[in-house]
Amino acid sequence: MGWQRGRSSWWDSVGSRDSAGGTEPDARFTFANERTFLAWSRTALALVVAGLAIVQLLPPFPGVPWGRHIIGTPLIVLGSAVAVISYLEWQSNQHALRRREPLTRSRLPRMLAVAITVIGLAAAALALFSAVSR
Amino acid sequence: MMAPADDIEDADPGLARERTELAWTRTAISFAALGGVLLKSHPYAGVPILAVSAVIWELGRLARAPGAGYAQPRHLLLITVAVTGVSLAALMLSLLGSGSGGLR
Repeated sequence: MGWQRGRSSWWDSVGSRDSAGGTEPDARFTFANERTFLAWSRTALALVVAGLAIVQLLPPFPGVPWGRHIIGTPLIVLGSAVAVISYLEWQSNQHALRRREPLTRSRLPRMLAVAITVIGLAAAALALFSAVSR
Repeated sequence: MMAPADDIEDADPGLARERTELAWTRTAISFAALGGVLLKSHPYAGVPILAVSAVIWELGRLARAPGAGYAQPRHLLLITVAVTGVSLAALMLSLLGSGSGGLR
């Protein structure tokens, strides 16, 4: 029965409202935190779908058979990272709201900007390389 | 006579509630669009994604319900798990799959 108790206590800690400590924040703050999480989750899903579409639907780059994977795979990985980090940030924001502490600055905007820039430059280099080697 | 609130939501938090329900609805539609696109070519992936979309839609209606406004980590975790699952499936498909000749 030990494993069962361990399992249920893990599940309780995932969903419990009271384990967080502090006091219940204004519902509007909770709603706003939730909307931010949902917006990042949609961004994550869009990144994954874009990566998948590049790998599966784009015609191959002439002369660069692995070119689609170079662009698409990082987008898919980025999407899953954004999905997980947005949940962790929702959690830490909710904890801070309960304790009336200032919210920590989100790491996601910088992460997304850097990753999109790098992937975009790689895509430009790939397109040029493919056109030259043709 | 009551002084008007600085922020209209101080008087009525219903707008926050409504915006949140709409955000859930947008998320559900995002999943539904992906599921619908995959339905023809990959029904084994499209059907579960459409099912997840329906669940997310219902969770959004819960956000609207009276007494809502408490953190619901399990509801949000469902979204994270769904996006991560789609991402893993996409990664497997793109790395192991033969890769098509492109859209014609």
